Amino acid sequence: MMFTIIVFLSVIGVFAGLTFHRFWTTREEAGATILYAELLKKYAAWLALRTIQTARKASPKAWWDYVKALSLWRLPDLEKWLFVGFYGSFAYLAASGFFFAIFVPRGLYGFPLVGHVMAGGLFAACLAVIVIFKGRNFISVPKPVNLSLALLDPRKMGITAARVKFAAFWLFVLAGFLLALSALVPMLPLLPTAGQKLMFELHRYTALASALAATVYVDLEARSARRS
Amino acid sequence: MSRAGRFALGALGLALAVFALAPAGSTATAGQDAKKAVWDGNRTTPAHLIPLRDENDQPIIPTETNPLPYSSRFTCGPCHDYKTIQGGWHFGAMTATKSGRPGEPWIQLDPKTGTVLPLSYRKWAGTFDPRALGLTAWDFTMLFGRHLPGGGPAEPSDEEVLAHPEARWSVSGKAEVNCLACHNKSGRQDHSEWAKQVLRENLRWAATAAGGVGEVGGMASRLKETWDVYDGPNLDDHEWAVVPSVKYSTSNFDSKHRYFFDLNYQPADDRCLACHSVSAKDEPRMNTDPDVHSTAGLKCADCHRNDLGHVIIRGYEGEAAETGNRTAESFTCRGCHLGENEVGEKSVVPGRLGAPFPKHTGIPLIHFKRLACTVCHSGPKPKEGFTRVRTSLANRLGIYGVATWATDMPAVIEPVYAKSAGHKIAPNRLVWPAFWAKMSGEEVAPLQPEVVDAAAGDILKPEDRIAQALVALSQVMAEDEIPVLVSGKFVFAPNVDGGIDSAERPGAKADTPAFWGIRKGSDILPLIPDFDPAAADKDPAVETRFLEFLQALGTVPGAPGQPVIAVKKTLYKLVDGVLDMSDAPAELAGAAGPGWLAEGKFAPLGSDFDIRTVTAKAGTEQTLTEEQVALVLAALAKSGEKSDFVYISGGRMFRLDKNGKLAAGAHPAAQPVTWPLAHNVRPAQQSLGWNGCTDCHSGGSDFFFTKLRGTGPLLTANVEKRSAASFMGLGGIFQRFFGLSFITRPLFKVVLAVCAFVIGSLVFLAGLLALGRLAGFLEKRAEP
Repeated sequence: MMFTIIVFLSVIGVFAGLTFHRFWTTREEAGATILYAELLKKYAAWLALRTIQTARKASPKAWWDYVKALSLWRLPDLEKWLFVGFYGSFAYLAASGFFFAIFVPRGLYGFPLVGHVMAGGLFAACLAVIVIFKGRNFISVPKPVNLSLALLDPRKMGITAARVKFAAFWLFVLAGFLLALSALVPMLPLLPTAGQKLMFELHRYTALASALAATVYVDLEARSARRS
Repeated sequence: MSRAGRFALGALGLALAVFALAPAGSTATAGQDAKKAVWDGNRTTPAHLIPLRDENDQPIIPTETNPLPYSSRFTCGPCHDYKTIQGGWHFGAMTATKSGRPGEPWIQLDPKTGTVLPLSYRKWAGTFDPRALGLTAWDFTMLFGRHLPGGGPAEPSDEEVLAHPEARWSVSGKAEVNCLACHNKSGRQDHSEWAKQVLRENLRWAATAAGGVGEVGGMASRLKETWDVYDGPNLDDHEWAVVPSVKYSTSNFDSKHRYFFDLNYQPADDRCLACHSVSAKDEPRMNTDPDVHSTAGLKCADCHRNDLGHVIIRGYEGEAAETGNRTAESFTCRGCHLGENEVGEKSVVPGRLGAPFPKHTGIPLIHFKRLACTVCHSGPKPKEGFTRVRTSLANRLGIYGVATWATDMPAVIEPVYAKSAGHKIAPNRLVWPAFWAKMSGEEVAPLQPEVVDAAAGDILKPEDRIAQALVALSQVMAEDEIPVLVSGKFVFAPNVDGGIDSAERPGAKADTPAFWGIRKGSDILPLIPDFDPAAADKDPAVETRFLEFLQALGTVPGAPGQPVIAVKKTLYKLVDGVLDMSDAPAELAGAAGPGWLAEGKFAPLGSDFDIRTVTAKAGTEQTLTEEQVALVLAALAKSGEKSDFVYISGGRMFRLDKNGKLAAGAHPAAQPVTWPLAHNVRPAQQSLGWNGCTDCHSGGSDFFFTKLRGTGPLLTANVEKRSAASFMGLGGIFQRFFGLSFITRPLFKVVLAVCAFVIGSLVFLAGLLALGRLAGFLEKRAEP
C-alpha cells in the first residue's frame, strides 16, 4: 500500500514538475505575475488547455505516426536493434511491474513474471552496452567549486535542463545497476529472509526511480530535439 | 401480639434467615470450588493416590464381590471439572460450534459393499455427518470406538439414549472420557485392550481394563438387551453369555482402598501415537524416522497443549483468531520459529522451547506468502505416484492380538499439495470416497452398507460362496491336502477366517479354464480325476472320495441344490447317505465335475459369475467388479424407491444409463477428501529446496507433475486422473515452462552479474569523474 501511495505521489510530482517547467519556459504569461496564486491559476488553465488539445490530437494513427517518425528508425541496424531491445524491454518491465505491484494483490506471477525476468536480462544487457558506448555523451564538465555558502543557493548551482537530463541519465543507469543487482542477489544462496525482503523493496523503489528518471530524460530530450 | 409486632417479628425472622443462609451458600460454593484443582505454581505432578468411585458415585472396595468399574466422572471429576473436559477437542465434536481446520475424518470401511465413507460430526468439506446418514451414537461408537478416547458419541446424553432404544447402552454402559487413555504413565495402558473391550460392548468397563486398573472378563455383546448392570452375574451361563466383571489389581490399592494412578500431566507421545500414528505402507519400521521435534526432545503435548478445557492447540495458522486462544499463535510453525502470525507480522516472541530461527537463505519471499511451512518440511518428499500411508484412525493401527485389525484399505495418499482456505498451499493426506448413494437432484445421500447388502442379495457374495465350498471340502481332505479353485493365473484356497486367499500360479496363463483341485505340496491335482465310471476295473477309492466330497458339500449353508458329481454322463449323488450312481438324464449330458442339482438342472459348484468375479479381483485390492456394480444398481432400482442410485469410486460416479449399461461421470461428491498434514517434520537438510530450486522447479518434478489416479474398491479403468499441480490451483503448462527455465537460469545469472558489474563500474567511474571535477583534482592533474 505504501509503495502504491509513493508511486502515485511521485508520478504526480514529476508530472507537475515537468509540465510546470514547460509552462515556465515556454509561456509568456508565466512571467507576467509574481503572485503564486495567480501563477498557479495560469498554470492550471494552460495545463487544462494542453490536455484537451493533446487528447483531441491523440489517436492510434497519431501515435503510430509519432513512433514512425522517431529518429530511432534511422539509426544503423545494430544500434537500431539495440535501442529497440532497450526501449521495448524497459517498457514491458515498467508496465508489467507497476501494473501487478499496484493493481494485483498477489503481485507479479505466472507468464508475465517469466516475461519480466527475460525482459530484465535483455534490459541489463542493452543498458550495459549503451553505457559503454554512449555513456561518454552524458559526462558533463562541472567547474571546480570553491567552499562557499553560495553552494546551497539553488539559483547559483547552475541547474539547467541539459544538466538535469544528464543527471536523469546517470540516475537511470544507477537505478538499472541496482535493479540488476536486486534481481540477481535474491537468486543466489546468500541472503536470509530479511535480506530478501530488503532486496525486494530495493527492486521496487529502484524501479520507481528508474521510471521517473526515464520520464524526465525523455521529456527533456524530446523538447530539446523539437527545439533543434 | 399486635399486627405491627407480628410484622416486626416476621421481618426479623426473614433477616435472620437471610443472614444465616447467605454465608452458608457462599461457603458451599467456595467449598465446591476448593475441590477443583487449581495449579499452585509447583511444576511437579501430585501423586494420584485417590479413592475409586463407580458410575453411581459410590466408593469402590476392590475386594468386595462384583465391584463395578471405576468411573472417571466421579473418580477424577471431584478435582478436574468433568463437564469442562467434555467440551474438549477429543470429546466435543458432536456439540462443537466451530469446526476448525479440517482434520482426519473417520472413515467407514466396508470392503464387501465397497464403502469408504468419510464421516465427521464437524463440518469439514467432503465429509458426511453421521447423524444425517442415520448413524446413531451407538453405531458410531461400535464403528470407531476402537480409537475413541471415550466421551463424545461414546457417552451420549440421556435424550440420545432414550431416542434410540435399539441401541444397547443399558447393557454396555457409556464409555466416559477415558482420562487414562492420554494421561496414564503406566506401561500397563493398553490400547488394544480398549479396542477389545469396545468390540465386546464392555463400554463402561473399557477404561478400567485398558488402564490396567483391573482385569475385565465377560462380554456385554453376548448378553440380552434386557440385562442391567445391577442384575449381576448370569448364573445360568458361565461359558458364553458371561457378564462383564472386574477383578481389580489390588497391589495398587492402599489399606484405605485408595488406588495409585501413575499419571503424566502432559501425555507421553506413545499415548498420542496410539491413535495418531501415520506410517508409509510397506515401509519397515527400521526405516521409519520420528518427527524432528521428537528427536530434539519435545513431546507432542509441548506444542499441542491445552488447559482444563482440553481444547488442544492444533497448531495451524489462524487458529488463534478462530478460537480466541492467543497462546495458539506461539505454537504454529511460524509463531514458534519466526515469531510471526499468519500474515507475517511479528506477533510473538520466537524461539519458544528452543526453536531455532531459520535463515531460509536464498529462498524467494513468494514461497513464504504462498506456501505453508509444512510444504517443504513435512511429510514424505514428493515422489512419482505419491506415498501410500496407513493411519491409526483409518487403517485401525495399533491394535495387537491374535486377530489382525490393521487394514490396507482405505488407501490414504500423501503429500498432496493443495490450496487451503487461506489460499496457501499445504501438504494434505487424501482419500477417495467410495459409496452407494441415492440421488436427489444433484445431492447425494449415501446409503449404509447394510442397506446395500440387503438389496444386493447374492451379488456381493461370490467370495463367500467359493469359500463355503472350499471350507466344506477341506473337512474331508488329508492333512497334506488343501482344496483349491484354480482359475486363470490364480489359485484360491480357504483361509482361517473362513474366506479365501488368492495366490498367483507361476507361469499360468490368464485364460486357464477354472477347475476345482487339491493342492498337495506344490502340485495341484484335479478334484475329480480322469475316471471312467463304466470301466470294469475302476478304482473304488475314487468313488469313496466322491462320497466324502458329496457329504462335505452337503454341509454348505444355503446350498442352491443337492450336491452331485457328474462324470462322463454318470451322475453321483447321495441317496439316504449312500453314494448313488446313475446315468445322467439327457438334459444333463453336458454336465461335468462337482455341482448342484436343483429342480432337475445341474449348476456347477462355482457359477460362472462367481468364478469370473473372484478371478477378476484376485491379486488386487478391489472388492467390486463393474458387473457387480451394474447388478447392484439394478437391484437397488428395483428395491421400490423411485430414486436414481449411483455408486462412487475412484473419483467417478457410476450409474446405469437408459440401456442399463454402466456409465461413469464426474460429480463433486466423487472428489477426494483431503486434510492437511503437519507431521512428520523432516530435518532441514531433508526439506524441499535444500538442494536448490530444482527440488520442485524442473520440467518433470514430482512436486508439480506426479499423477494421481483415483483409487477405490471398484475394479475399473474408469478413474479420475489428476496432476499434483491441479490440487494447487496452478497451471501445469506454466509450471512445466517455468521449471524448464531453470535449465538456463545459471547462464542467466552469469549474464546478469556481468551486466551489473559493467554498469556498476561505469556508474562508479562516472561518479568519480564528476567528483574529481568538482574537487578540481583532474584539472590539477592536467597542469604541467
